[in-house]
Amino acid sequence: MMIPYPLLQVILVPIIVAFLSIFLGNLGKRLGWIAFATLTYTSLIMIKIGIDLWNGIGPYYEEYYWSTALFNIKFGFLADGLSLPVALIMNMICAACALYSIHYMEHRIEQLYGEERKGMYVVYFSIYLLFAVGLVGVALSTNLAQMYVFTELTLIPSYIMIDLFGYVDRHRIAMMYFIWNHIGAAMFLIGITLAYIGTGSFEVFALRNLIGNNFAIWVCFFILVGWLVKMAVFGFHVWLPWAHGEHPTSIAAIIATIVGLGNYVIVRLLYGELFSVFKIFSIPLLIIAIITMIYGGFLSIAQDDMKRLYACSTISQTAYSILGIATLTVMGVVGGIFYFLSHILGKCVLFSVAGIVLCQTGIRDMRKLGGLARKMPLTATLCILGSMVLSAFPPLSGFQGEWIMFVGVFKEAGSFMGLIVALVAIFATFLTVIYTFWPVIRVFFGPLPSELENVKEAPLTMTLPLFMLMFISFILGIYPESLVALITPVIKAMTP
Amino acid sequence: MIDLAPWLCWIMPTIGSIVHYLLPKRIGRKRYIVTISFTFIAFIMAITMLPLLPIHGYKEIGGIWLSLPDGNYVEFAILIDNLSIILTNLVAFLSLLILIYSYKYMEGEPGEDRYWFFMSLFVGGMLILILANNLIFFFIGWKIVGLCSFALISHYYSDERKYWIGGPEPYPFQKPSRCGLKALFVTTLGDVALLASIIIIYLYSGTFSFMKLYENVNIWMSEIAKTPGLLTITILLFLCGPFSKSAQFPFHEWLPEAMSGPTPVSALIHAATMVKAGVYLVARVLPIFYFGTWILGIKEAYNFFLIVAIIGGFTAFLAATQAMVAIELKKVLAYSTMSVIGYMMLGLGIAGISSETLIEGFTSSIFHLINHGIFKAALFLCAGVLIHASGSIYITDMKLSPKTMKFTWIFMWISSLALIGIPPLSGFWSKEGILSSCYISGQYWIFILSVLTVAVTSFYVIRLMGITFHSPNENNSNKHHEHGEASKIMLIPYGILAILTVIIGIVGPWIKDLLHEFFAKEFYDIHLLEFHTLSIAHESIIPTILSIIMIVIGGFPAYYVYIANKLSSISIIERYGILKAFHKFLWNRWYIDSAFNKIFAYPILASREPVAKYIEAGMDYGLNIGIPKLFEFINNNIRKLQTGILSINMIYIMIFAVFLMFIFIIFGVM
Repeated sequence: MMIPYPLLQVILVPIIVAFLSIFLGNLGKRLGWIAFATLTYTSLIMIKIGIDLWNGIGPYYEEYYWSTALFNIKFGFLADGLSLPVALIMNMICAACALYSIHYMEHRIEQLYGEERKGMYVVYFSIYLLFAVGLVGVALSTNLAQMYVFTELTLIPSYIMIDLFGYVDRHRIAMMYFIWNHIGAAMFLIGITLAYIGTGSFEVFALRNLIGNNFAIWVCFFILVGWLVKMAVFGFHVWLPWAHGEHPTSIAAIIATIVGLGNYVIVRLLYGELFSVFKIFSIPLLIIAIITMIYGGFLSIAQDDMKRLYACSTISQTAYSILGIATLTVMGVVGGIFYFLSHILGKCVLFSVAGIVLCQTGIRDMRKLGGLARKMPLTATLCILGSMVLSAFPPLSGFQGEWIMFVGVFKEAGSFMGLIVALVAIFATFLTVIYTFWPVIRVFFGPLPSELENVKEAPLTMTLPLFMLMFISFILGIYPESLVALITPVIKAMTP
Repeated sequence: MIDLAPWLCWIMPTIGSIVHYLLPKRIGRKRYIVTISFTFIAFIMAITMLPLLPIHGYKEIGGIWLSLPDGNYVEFAILIDNLSIILTNLVAFLSLLILIYSYKYMEGEPGEDRYWFFMSLFVGGMLILILANNLIFFFIGWKIVGLCSFALISHYYSDERKYWIGGPEPYPFQKPSRCGLKALFVTTLGDVALLASIIIIYLYSGTFSFMKLYENVNIWMSEIAKTPGLLTITILLFLCGPFSKSAQFPFHEWLPEAMSGPTPVSALIHAATMVKAGVYLVARVLPIFYFGTWILGIKEAYNFFLIVAIIGGFTAFLAATQAMVAIELKKVLAYSTMSVIGYMMLGLGIAGISSETLIEGFTSSIFHLINHGIFKAALFLCAGVLIHASGSIYITDMKLSPKTMKFTWIFMWISSLALIGIPPLSGFWSKEGILSSCYISGQYWIFILSVLTVAVTSFYVIRLMGITFHSPNENNSNKHHEHGEASKIMLIPYGILAILTVIIGIVGPWIKDLLHEFFAKEFYDIHLLEFHTLSIAHESIIPTILSIIMIVIGGFPAYYVYIANKLSSISIIERYGILKAFHKFLWNRWYIDSAFNKIFAYPILASREPVAKYIEAGMDYGLNIGIPKLFEFINNNIRKLQTGILSINMIYIMIFAVFLMFIFIIFGVM
């Protein structure tokens, strides 16, 4: 079966549905099902492409003219073994969260705007779809300008979402989030512009023509720093606990993927096209990754607020992937991407669990929670599963990503000092177990406080999509070849 | 068939873990019989592998699982050799009995579905790690076992008062959820180290497969040994894994608290799964390091055996002394497990500490593992009955009478005597083997320590039995709960185990010779041993005599005080200050637990406040509030410039004009 313009469809269909849903305001929260159906459709297309890639057909490449007037910009979509899994898993997370949002947003909109504001669902779900487009678009872009546009497309909707539906002090935090991410985006834009000056083209593949050019290092620097701000490495991380902590949780799960997306962009642009320049940044990146891993770990341990805890853990977890990439070994990069995908699956579930707990109990302070496993066994199971992904327990995917990545890290180590650094890094993963399983105990185990006696389990529309995500993680865990075999050839071709 | 058996062996319990969720709820507890039947199939499959013994060399069944980016691959394959077949049988057999026992035991307990899920998965995970042919596949089973132990230890996660352990007042209690978390943290710390060493070994050898590692040992180990110290670091990291799983010093503190789960869980953890995993891993890689030490002559590889022997011998002694004062029934048994595992580690260490004790040490250690599995399972299953019958976790409160539960009493005595190593019960032969190989190897100080441990063991076991069954019933306070013999479903499993202990004891020397022959042949087949070294046997009578003397030395006072009740232990301790201090030292577990808390747990907890309050809040303030404030400040000051007074504005214009002139002059000239 041939699907016409499959990649264009993946981008366009959600946009069209997003605009159409403006006229479907009467549906209220049922719009969520439409969003879910749309994203499931695009996911299915990508699965089809994935199967083709697995069978050695492809990579898929589509090219369209955007503007011929001034710049002659083409825009294109590339689905190869690297971009497709990233896009697909992000899209599936969006689909799952669409379903999850139905109940969650009902609760949130009621809280904020009262029952009458059905229009709010339109705002939420149409913007939500644009969000998914942005994420998938960044992954599939072949053009830097286009990639930038899609990056903004992930940023602006999330700004609106947090401003409209966020928690405590949401207007200020939305603005903070917007500014920080815009600093990142602006750096990225400077990098892109410099690249255009150097090569006369916005094509991703044209970046390699910069090698040997004097300001290739600046292009590399700006793109890297821009995305490091978005990835919240130590020093640039102060926005993240706020933004992720106060987002509506259905979005917090997704913006965790934006944070991780930087890994993909760095691999695609810098590792892939500017390897010899990117090499210079390897050691600083390693150091900052390890600092971030450890600091993020301790920061997460220090939290008492459930949402904020998982927000802080994103800082630490994203740095793992940076560590893998910074090793500049094939193993490290493949492991880093694998770990990034596995982490967003797990983090999505954990954020959503925090959302469920918040939604059902109205409490997010872990000191006041306890014993919920008896009332919400499915949620507790999800929380343990998500924690297993993050702390690399097989048979879920975290483990496979982690060990492949650490093979890369140890390989890079070489000298005795390097070995010490690698050991510090691997022992930092121990912190993960503390900050994922300790909250499980605090929230779900122990005696049930008397005021929580009437708590009910979340509806299946919330838990079931999350179980689906964990199932994906399980498949990746027991059959890692499905991901590794796709990514490896691309990374190998990139590595000189 | 024979190729399929090992696969079904681990797949069946793993699938069995979810099968009771799929069955309709209305058939009630019968669903769990289906779960048990999956383990039963695993047991049958294990038995079908028995006729393969003795295997010449080894056999691998499976295929490629994951091709790695660097061109190597990870296999998804089963390794069959003597060691894995023997252990598979042991694990499947014990697990089956324990599961049958818990069908009755768990009746009416909360969270039964969850219990059966994790028990079955636990067995599956253990079988995976035994049968796996490479370290990655192995590690998956290893982690599953760790996770299941966490879930089962904190089975009573609601932390009701009746499930607390520790104490009694005024001593602190521990809650099940905390105990589970502790086990998880300690074992995970070991896992991280193990993973690090696996990766280091992989980078030098390019393989994860046990057998390939063995075959290429001359290449990779010499390569690692070229960097001085690296091999020792690798060995240390590697051993952290087994030591944490097997609760050896300094990772032993989780095990005494791991009994907060239901008793069959303890039986499974102590007898069949979990703690045996560490011993298995050491035994599995032992040929590799033996080859490195004695055939390649790599000095650093010797550290492997040295560390294993020292830690094993020390833990055996450490745990045994703590068992002398413990008054929780399961805690005494937990200490004894640590102690016996210490013996096994000691045996494995001794196996490579001198080039001549390989077979003797290895065989006795594995034999001890088998025996310990059987009698410790029996002891724990008895303990479950006793705790149910008496309603107390303290032996001092039990005051049970042997008359009302005659069979349990007999079975428990048999298992206890086997634990001491009374001839001709099973424990005697294997313990003798370890002691005599220790003696032959010439490591006299370890030998002395382990012989001392025999006396201590003898003391605490007889004390345990004495207080439990033979304490004077002066006030007859126990009348208010009637207790009779356990139900047959519970009695038969530990009955079988106790009888097996006797049978193995009677044919002990023969089984030992058989194991001796199996492993000798295998090691010969894989060229670890030259044939002539097989016949070495400096049989010495000294260890046997010494150990029997030690049993009497340790056992007699215990008998005198606790069974004959000629003296009151409390009054003895009160009378001598030094004994009191010693008691306190042992009761507080040599202060190791509190020391670790002070070194590791509290600092991490103490870091929470400064991290959140000072570092993070400081950065947050600086960046999110400070920078906007800075802009505000600049903004306000710039605003002040705009006074609106004409003359001042004229000055600005003048300054600007001068500025422009400068620019023109500079650039114009150029």
